[in-house]
Amino acid sequence: MSVTRSPVEEMEHDRRGTMVVLHPVDTSVLHPTSRPGDAGQERGWRRWATPAALLAVAALALALRVWRLDALGFNSDEAVYAGQAASLAGNPNYAPFFPVFRAHPMLFQTLLSPFFRAGEVDVAGRVVVAALGVATVLAVHLLGARLYSRRVGLLAALFMAVMPYHVIVTRQVLLDGPMVLFATLTLYCLVRFVQGQQVIWYVATGAMLGVTMLTKETSIVLAGGVYAFLALTPMVRRPVRMSLLAVAAMAAVFLTHPVSQALAGRSQTGKSYLVWQLFRRPNHSMGFYLETVPPALGLLVVAAAVGGLWWLRRHRSWRETLLLSWIAAPVVFFQLWPVKGFQYLLPAAAPVAMLAARALIGMPVPDRIRRLLHRAHGSPGTDRSGVVRAAVIAVVALSLLAPSWNAVNRADNSTFLAGSGGVPGGREAGRWLAANTPEGSVVLTLGPSMANIIQYYGHRRSYGLSVSPNPLRRNPSYEPLPNPDWWLRHNDLQYVVWDSFSAGRSAFFSERLMVLIRRYHGRVVHTEYVDGADSTGARVPVPVIIIYEVRP
Amino acid sequence: MIDPTHLPRRRAGRLLARALLIAGLLALANPAGAAHAEARTAPAGNATTPIDHFVFLMQENHTFDNYFGTRPGVDGIPAGTCMPVRRGQAEPCVKPFHLGELGSLDLDHTAEAFRVQYNNGRMDGFVEGVSTQGKDGKLAMAYYDDRDLPYYWNIADEYVLFDRFFSSSNSGSIRNHMFRVTGGPGATGASESIPANGWGDLPTIFDRLEAAGISWKFYVENYDPTITFRSRTSEEDIDRGAQVIWVPLLAYARYVDDPRLFGKIVDLDQYYDDAAKGQLPAVSFIAPAGDSEHPPGSIRAGQNLVRTLLTQLMRSPNWNSSAFLWSYDDWGGWYDHVAPPQVDRYGYGFRVPALLVSPYARRGYVDSTTLDFTSALKFIEVNWRLKPLADRDRKAKTFLDAFDFDRPPRPAVFLSTERTPAVVQRPNPVPVYASYAVTGSFVAALVGVAALRRRRWT
Repeated sequence: MSVTRSPVEEMEHDRRGTMVVLHPVDTSVLHPTSRPGDAGQERGWRRWATPAALLAVAALALALRVWRLDALGFNSDEAVYAGQAASLAGNPNYAPFFPVFRAHPMLFQTLLSPFFRAGEVDVAGRVVVAALGVATVLAVHLLGARLYSRRVGLLAALFMAVMPYHVIVTRQVLLDGPMVLFATLTLYCLVRFVQGQQVIWYVATGAMLGVTMLTKETSIVLAGGVYAFLALTPMVRRPVRMSLLAVAAMAAVFLTHPVSQALAGRSQTGKSYLVWQLFRRPNHSMGFYLETVPPALGLLVVAAAVGGLWWLRRHRSWRETLLLSWIAAPVVFFQLWPVKGFQYLLPAAAPVAMLAARALIGMPVPDRIRRLLHRAHGSPGTDRSGVVRAAVIAVVALSLLAPSWNAVNRADNSTFLAGSGGVPGGREAGRWLAANTPEGSVVLTLGPSMANIIQYYGHRRSYGLSVSPNPLRRNPSYEPLPNPDWWLRHNDLQYVVWDSFSAGRSAFFSERLMVLIRRYHGRVVHTEYVDGADSTGARVPVPVIIIYEVRP
Repeated sequence: MIDPTHLPRRRAGRLLARALLIAGLLALANPAGAAHAEARTAPAGNATTPIDHFVFLMQENHTFDNYFGTRPGVDGIPAGTCMPVRRGQAEPCVKPFHLGELGSLDLDHTAEAFRVQYNNGRMDGFVEGVSTQGKDGKLAMAYYDDRDLPYYWNIADEYVLFDRFFSSSNSGSIRNHMFRVTGGPGATGASESIPANGWGDLPTIFDRLEAAGISWKFYVENYDPTITFRSRTSEEDIDRGAQVIWVPLLAYARYVDDPRLFGKIVDLDQYYDDAAKGQLPAVSFIAPAGDSEHPPGSIRAGQNLVRTLLTQLMRSPNWNSSAFLWSYDDWGGWYDHVAPPQVDRYGYGFRVPALLVSPYARRGYVDSTTLDFTSALKFIEVNWRLKPLADRDRKAKTFLDAFDFDRPPRPAVFLSTERTPAVVQRPNPVPVYASYAVTGSFVAALVGVAALRRRRWT
């Protein structure tokens, strides 16, 4: 079977010496030949085509990230990061409940804090993340254009714009969205270094990786990706002194975190966080990422990325080594890491999108299909491969857009995966507590996640029943309640909140909570519902959060 | 066949007139019954103040100085106080001391103990009054402070503390509890015990409320309805005998024998239900059991009871129209430095702690009006336009000045059981903003320079 040549095939390496140079892409392939009379007009049109397409992609990305952004309130992690930002800004509603310093560095929270100076804020924080998400889409375009071609860059940007994984995460006030932006910029700096062999880009790579770590320190695993790439690509010159300089830049940037804490009055909370994360019990099965991430990336995108590695295998270069190293580092690390989170593999999204875009732009079209197209259109001289590729690209893009659209419209989901969105009824339950319970009320929730949400929206001190009093078995940033029974007996807890999301994760603590509710004269004072279906399929309200009043 | 639903109009009119006539004659023949009928239907919301729900809890056996004597801004223990061990002899003497966790005793608090301690107004017999009963008299000079009573002190910071609130009787529990519900001592003369046949026809505030159609309930902690003046007489020594003293209605044959009235004496659990549903009656009296703070009982348990009661009231729909008063039935043998005015042969007794919690209560206000238990009766009588019961409540002052009805009701706040709640230390944000800004600028500059250099070179 013969295949047509793709634009990617036009990109060749100059492997003379140790230098790696990116040759310009053959414009005759990227831009089909025009008729002589239309040359000036087409040049003008093409000048604006890419920016216009990129603008459209950015607009689509923004639309998906802000559509019904307020439909659900914060989840637990969002509440914590927003609470930290608000506390840093001196917002009196949050300072008593959320310490400024917890487990992670504060770059993103510092960026958010000006929006959280007063009142209850949630949408503004999400808009900031959505904007950073769109910036990531643009960064992906930049990276793709530099690595391969503008078409690849544009297509990769489109995939990122509509990819459910990125859309879902960049609609939440989580560290992962901003982290991926800086990770993509780190990748860009590295590409510039590889292409130009200028020390300053190597140092910039280290510094940008430091910024990425300042957003979320776990992104240090991406340093492993850089190392793997350099180790597998001996043609890239990397003297020890240069490497030390880059590492120094990374360390200097990351030092901002401990230094700022020390200057501001260090909190002890985060000290043992890393140790706890290392030795805690796994929170998901080993198959968690395999089950959740490929569908979120888009099965067709993953298939295209993998397929491209096969059908463009003869044109494999340092670029694919770089992208695969960038994907492998977080995947391997978090697969081995006991704590698994839906959003943890997001840094792999950009290289996967890039590989998929490369694959589809360079997708071979079998001769049989081309002949069929020629017969159908009756113009044997015209190459219809582009039509086939465009159709496939459209199918892949739509396969991403549909689940993304579903995800942004799903506001009453009664099942909840941490990191995959807001918590139905959580905000409303918190607001109910704020409006209907006396100031100073103390709340017992099933788990720490709901406690964070209640504290954010309810401004009521909340404790999670499932937080272990054993410091070896709890997140150091959570405050345990050593003896909830004693607290209830002494009227130190006035309300108990049961929620179906936490109950689904721990039947044991759910039952334990219900025992306490029965023992202390629990009386239902408020219930939050979502729409569900009964056995006949009829829509029925399903209680997801129940607030009880308790007394000794 | 005649359709009964289509009776001629004239016949229906005649039937209605006859029914009204019979009802009128019955009302004339039995006015009390008519009043009862009205009581069952009349709304309770005809108070003269915004207070539609008045709750009165009586705890046990402490003086003002014993609980609040060291509190700044009140008429507390005078500096240099030293109580003679023997009356009339300045030395040796006992200075007030912090009791804390040392443990207490049930000090003598009979009429005789009062006589010795009061010593005709010289107020120098507090140690002797206890020691003559074979107990360590020094204990009378012990006091608690905010380390032991953080919640009460916090309440005093936010609401109203009375520092001239006297027990009504200069003797023990029985007379003081009778003053609480009747405005009089109950047992007159030297005898201070519940008559074998009960309190007979002595009118109570609940009779007045019944007659006026005002709702009321008497909530009793760990209530045992089998313990009344009849069972107590034969079983004087049973553990729960105090129930009849602290709930004087259980020593009235008419309250015990009338199922409707008896049904208004209920367990304290009912208070929580009523408050939760917004169905508190206009007047609620509460009697404790084991959480009464009666020495040597736990004062922490008493605080917990009061806090639980207030918690339920504060989250009740009735909160915005409520007032919660609690006091202590007698001085319990403890020292108090203010000589009580003797308004009649029965009292006053020594000062007792009293606090008022209400959304209309003045914040952190110390009310120095001379009051006693009958002042609560006076408040009920003024608030619901009732006739006085006796001379004491007729003459008593009440605590209307403790309220500020010109302001809207205050939202409820659950106060801490810590006297000094942990202060939130907000880290200095400037170094955080500055360090991240410097780092961001550095990285941006680095990338910018790299991009510009590349551009120049190409």
